Amino acid sequence: MSEATTQNKEYSVIGRSFPKVDARDKATGRARYTGDIKVPNMLYGKILRSPHAHARILKIDTSMAEALPGVKAVITAKDVPSTMYGISPARYDETIFAIEKVLYVGDKVAAVAAVDDETATKALSLIDVEYEVLPPVLDPLRAMDDDQPQLHPQYPRNISVEIHQNFGDVDKALAEAYHVRTDTFSGTRTSHVPMEPHAAISKWEDGKLTISCSTQSPHYFQYHIARVFGLKMGDVRVMKTFVGGGFGGKLEASGAEYVSAALAMKTGRPVKIVFDRWEVFTHHRGRHPQHITLTTGVTKEGKIVGCHARFIIDGGAYTSLGIASAYYAGAMIPLIYMFDDYRFDGFRVHTNLPSCGAQRGHGAPQPRFAFESQLDMIAKDLGMDPIEIRRLNARKPNTMTPNEFQVNSCAFTEALDKARNISGWDEKKGKLSSDKGIGIGCGGFISGNGYAIYRTRLPHSGAVIKVSEQGDIATLYTGAVDIGQGSDTVLAQMAAEAIGINYEDIKLVTADTETTPHDFGAYASRQTLMSGWAVKQAGEEIRKQVLELAAEMLEANVEDVDIDRRVIYVKGSPDKVLPFERVANEFFIMRGPLVGRGKYAPPKLGGKFKGAPVGTSPAYSFAAQVSQVEVDEETGQVMVTDVWDVHDCGQVINPMLLHAQVEGALFMGMGEAMYEAMVFDANGKPLNANLGEYRIPTALDVPHVVSDLVDSYEPAGPFGVKEVGEGATLPTMGSYANAIYDAIGVRIYDMPLTPEKVWRAIQERKRM
Amino acid sequence: MIVPQFEYLVPQSLQEACALLGQHGSKAKVLSGGSDLIVKMKNGLAKPDYLVSLKNLDELKGVRYEAGTGVIIGSRTTHNQVIANPILREKYPSVCAAAATMAAYQIRNIGTIGGNLVNAVPSADMPPILIALGAQARIVGTAGERVVRVEDFFLGPGRTVLGQDEILAELVIPDQATTGSNYVKFGLRRAGALAVVGVASSVTMAGDVAKDVRIILGAVAPIPMVAREAENVLRGKKVSDDLIQHAGKVAAVESKPINDIRGSAEYRRNLVDVLTRRSLKAAIEKGHV
Amino acid sequence: MVTEAKTSVKRHIVTLTVNGDEHVALVKANTTLLDLLREEFDYTGTKKGCELGDCGACTVMLDGEPVNSCLILAVEADGHSVTTIEGLDQNGKLDPVQEAFVNHGAIQCGYCSPGMILSGRALLNRNPHPTEREVREAIAGNLCRCTGYVRIVEAILAAADANS
Repeated sequence: MSEATTQNKEYSVIGRSFPKVDARDKATGRARYTGDIKVPNMLYGKILRSPHAHARILKIDTSMAEALPGVKAVITAKDVPSTMYGISPARYDETIFAIEKVLYVGDKVAAVAAVDDETATKALSLIDVEYEVLPPVLDPLRAMDDDQPQLHPQYPRNISVEIHQNFGDVDKALAEAYHVRTDTFSGTRTSHVPMEPHAAISKWEDGKLTISCSTQSPHYFQYHIARVFGLKMGDVRVMKTFVGGGFGGKLEASGAEYVSAALAMKTGRPVKIVFDRWEVFTHHRGRHPQHITLTTGVTKEGKIVGCHARFIIDGGAYTSLGIASAYYAGAMIPLIYMFDDYRFDGFRVHTNLPSCGAQRGHGAPQPRFAFESQLDMIAKDLGMDPIEIRRLNARKPNTMTPNEFQVNSCAFTEALDKARNISGWDEKKGKLSSDKGIGIGCGGFISGNGYAIYRTRLPHSGAVIKVSEQGDIATLYTGAVDIGQGSDTVLAQMAAEAIGINYEDIKLVTADTETTPHDFGAYASRQTLMSGWAVKQAGEEIRKQVLELAAEMLEANVEDVDIDRRVIYVKGSPDKVLPFERVANEFFIMRGPLVGRGKYAPPKLGGKFKGAPVGTSPAYSFAAQVSQVEVDEETGQVMVTDVWDVHDCGQVINPMLLHAQVEGALFMGMGEAMYEAMVFDANGKPLNANLGEYRIPTALDVPHVVSDLVDSYEPAGPFGVKEVGEGATLPTMGSYANAIYDAIGVRIYDMPLTPEKVWRAIQERKRM
Repeated sequence: MIVPQFEYLVPQSLQEACALLGQHGSKAKVLSGGSDLIVKMKNGLAKPDYLVSLKNLDELKGVRYEAGTGVIIGSRTTHNQVIANPILREKYPSVCAAAATMAAYQIRNIGTIGGNLVNAVPSADMPPILIALGAQARIVGTAGERVVRVEDFFLGPGRTVLGQDEILAELVIPDQATTGSNYVKFGLRRAGALAVVGVASSVTMAGDVAKDVRIILGAVAPIPMVAREAENVLRGKKVSDDLIQHAGKVAAVESKPINDIRGSAEYRRNLVDVLTRRSLKAAIEKGHV
Repeated sequence: MVTEAKTSVKRHIVTLTVNGDEHVALVKANTTLLDLLREEFDYTGTKKGCELGDCGACTVMLDGEPVNSCLILAVEADGHSVTTIEGLDQNGKLDPVQEAFVNHGAIQCGYCSPGMILSGRALLNRNPHPTEREVREAIAGNLCRCTGYVRIVEAILAAADANS
C-alpha cells in the first residue's frame, strides 16, 4: 500500500459495527411503511392499466364505474395535467395517463378512488376502454428499421439517444495491436424487486399537496410533481416513510404518486395507492437489456491498447433515467483498466416493453460482464493467467481515464492480490476436478454523481445538526434517504465523530422536503460521501463552537482544547476537563441555539465533450471478485459454491453494514447472472410478472460469501470514504461466466446463465 | 389483489359436502388448503360462486396403516404432515421426499396432498411418486364411494375423473414388494420452483433382476405420464448401466414435452433422460422405498 | 356463524386469538387473513409483498406453524390462534431471534424481516439446534432482496446458540 492512500487516524465512533438505528423498529413490526399507514377519511386508489403493448385509445367510458356505490372519483387523461414528465430533462415523454396511445402492457389509462380496495378493484373492471391495437415494437435490434412502427413522434426511428464518444485513436491502436478480438454479448431485462411494492398516500389540503411515499429521493419527487401539477415547490411536501428497498426503482415518482395526488385533488380526501407485484414489474425502470460488441486490442504482453465498444440498448416505452443509463454503459468501461484509446458508440431504442431505468450498478454491470469475459478470452489466447492480465492493466492511483474521470485513491491491484490469496486461486486455477471451476471478475463504481440529474446550482447535500438545550442529545436533520442500506446509521456515526460525542446521542430527522435540508437522495452510491461531507461539516461547526466556549471556560487556548466522546479536555492537562453537556448548555444560555450547518457540492469534474458529466464522481471504488462453481454437465445446472469479494471502499464507517452491502450487491449480481429475466409473449405481454416465475434466489441458492477489504483512504471523501453499495454488483456476472468456462470450457455470451443455456453450449462444444 | 366474492359453505360431514357440490354443480369448488385455489381466484382464473370448505372434515386428515390395505393418507393431510409422518417415513420415505421438493415451508403447511392431485397441474410433484407406488384414490360422492388408480385419475391439465358431487377423500398406497423408489425433480431454483421435469420410479429387485419397474414422468405431458417403453427396457431384465442408459433414452423419446417459459421441449427431453437414469439408479442401489 | 349485513354481501363472524388476545371481526368470506390482520386489527407488521404466496412477507404463525397469511381466508382461520411479529417481544424484551437479527446486521430494508423472523422462530421451536442447511430450508419461502441471506442465516444460528 502506498503512503499516499493511507491515513492512520484513531476514530472513536466511526469504524465500529453499531446496529442500525431502525433495526429494533423493523424487527418488532413497529416500522410503518407507506402501505401500513391509514389516515382518517382515506380513500383507496387503483390504476387501470393497458392490456396492450401498443394501441390507440379510441374511447373510454367511465359511467358504469362512476355509478358503483363507494366509488368517489374516476379519472382519465382529460382530468389531469397533460404535462410530460420523466426524470431525464432532455426527454420528458410520459404523462400521468396515456393521452392518445398506450405504449406498453401496464401503461396508465385511468384510475379510481373508492372507499376500499375491493370497490376500487371492481370499479376498474367497469371502465370500458376501446382500443385500436397497433403492431408493437418488441425487438430492440430491429427497432430502428424503417418498417417498424413508431412509438413517439419526437423520436424518429425509435431512437431514444445516440451516443458517439471517441478518445485517442482507436483505429490506429487496434491496427497496431498484437492481438485483437471482437465479441458480442447481451444482457437481459432484470428488475429491482424491492420486497415492498411502490406506494404513496397523497393529501390535498388548502392548495397544498403532501405525499408520504416509498421513495429514494423526496427532492426529485417534489421537483417533478410540482412541475407537472403547476404548483410551487413549497406547496408540495414529500415525506419518506420506511422504505422496503429501492435499488434504483424508486428514484423517480411513479403512478403511485402522480395518480394518488390527482385523485386527492379531485376528491379532497387522502388517497392511498399501493402497487401490486404485477404493477411493480411492468412499471419496471430496471435494467436495460444491452447488446454489446467489444473490439479490444492488446500487446503481446497482454497490455490493453484500445477498445471500441458498440451498444444497442433496449429502453422500453419511456425514457425514465435511460439517457444516463446509456451513457453509463460506455462511460464506465475504461475505469478499471488503463488504456488511452477508447471509442464508444451507442443507441438506446424504444420498444413497447416496460421502461428501463436505473438499477443497482446503473448501466455498468452488463458492459462489465462483457469486458471481463472478453479479457479472460484474451488471456487464454495469450496463455496468460486471468489475474495476471488484470494486474498488468489495473488502474493506478492518481490517474485519469481517457474520458477524463479523475481517480484519486485506487487499491485495485491490492484487491486483486488479496482476492487471489483468500480464494486459493493459485492452488485451484486449472487444478480443480472437471466439474468445478474458478473465475474472476472485477468492477469499479462512482461514489456519487458529479452532476445532479437536472441542471441546478444547488449543493448536492445539506445537513443541519441541532444540539439540545441540555446538551444531552443532538438531532441531525438530513435529506439523505435511508431505504434500508443504512445511511441513517452511517451518517449518525459520522455526525457523532465530527462533533466528538457518542453514536447513541444522535437523533435523526430525515428525508422530508419540509423539515430537512436539501439532498438529492439515495442513488449513484452518493450518500456516504456527499451527505457525509455535509454532515461532517455540520458536526465540525458544532465542535468548533463548543471548543471555543470551552476554551474560555477552561481558560485555555482554543488550539489546546479537544473533545472525545463527550469529554472536553485540555491537551497535556488531564485535570482540566468539562463534560460536553455543560458547555453546550452554557452555549444555549449565552448565545442561543447550538446549531451546525454543512453542505457539499462536488468540484467541477469531467471533460467538455457531449455526455462528459455521466460517470464523473469525486471518487471511485474498485472490486475484485473470485467465484467457484460446480457444473452438472448433464443438465447444465451451475451451482456457485463460493464467492470471495475484495472491495476498495476507502475508510469504513460501519463494517457490519458495509459487508452487508457487499453481500447484497453480489446477491443481486448473482440473480442477474443466473436466474432473472423478464420475458414476454409475441404481443409484448409479460409472462412472468410475479415472484413465482421471476425467480430471485432463495436462501438455498446462494453461495458461501467472503467479503474482504483492502486498506484505502480517499482524499475526496469525508473521513476517507467511498462507495460500496453498488460496486459489488458489477464483477459478479463476469466472474461466474469465467468460472463456468474454467470448469467446462464453454463460454456463455448472454445472460442469464440458465441451465438450458449452459446445456446447449455444452452440446455445441461436444459437436465441435 | 382481491379474491372474487363467493358464498362460503361449511359442511359438517363428507356427505353434506358432496350434497352441496352436487347441488351447485360447476358453480362450486372445494376449498381444502387453498394454496392453489386462492392464487387462481386472485388472478381471475377461477370465479366460483360457492366455496365448499372442508375445514371441519377432520376425517380427511392424517395418515394411518391398515393391514391388508396399506397406508392410507387423508386428502387434507398437508405436505408438511406428509413429510413428518412416521408411518410414511418408515414405509415410503420417497413420498415424504417428494413432498419436500414442493414450494417452501409455509406453503407446505397450507397445501394438501389431495389438492396437489385435484388441481391436476402437469408439473405437480406428488402424482408421479404416487403412481409409481400404485396408489389409489378413494373418491366419495353422493352416490357412494369408488376407488380409482391415481394413474387413471387425471384427464388433462386441470381436469380429473372427479364428478361434480365428488371429493377425493383418501389416497391408499397398497402393500407391495417394491424394493426402491424415489422422485427426482429439476426446478430452476432450489425452493419455490415448479418442476421443469420430475421423474419418479419404483423397482422391485430380485438380486440384480428388476422384476418390476415403474417410471412416471411429470411436466412432460398434459398429465403425469407412465413411461411404458422405458419400463419395458428394464422389466424382467438383469439391470446394468447400459440398460439404465437405454431406459433413459427411451423415456426421453416417448415423453411429450412442450416449449414454455421454463424450458424447451428439447431440453426437457434431455432432462427426462438424465433424471430417469438418476432416479432408476437410486431406486435400484439405495433400496429404500 | 353467519349474519346478514346491510349490503347484500354476507358477513361472517370470525374469532381469532392474536398474540394471545381474543379478537372478533365481521368479515366478508373473501377477506384474507392478511387483510384481516392488517386492515381490521392493525397488525401491519405482517407485510404484503406479492399476495400470491411467493415471497413470505406475510408469514404468520397459525397455531404455531408458519403460513402465508395471503393465501388463507379469514373465515378458514376462525377459532384458531395467530402469532404475528408484534407478538414476539414481551414487555419490551426482544425475542432472541429478533435480538440476533438486530445485532448481526440481518436487517436492511426490513420488509422481509417480520416474516423472516417468524420463520426463524418457528424453526427454533421445532428444532432448537438446526444446522445451517436446516435454517436455509426453513427460510427458503421468505424472499429477501437486500442481504443475500448471509446475516439472516447467521442470526438464526446465533439465536439457536443463545437457546442453549
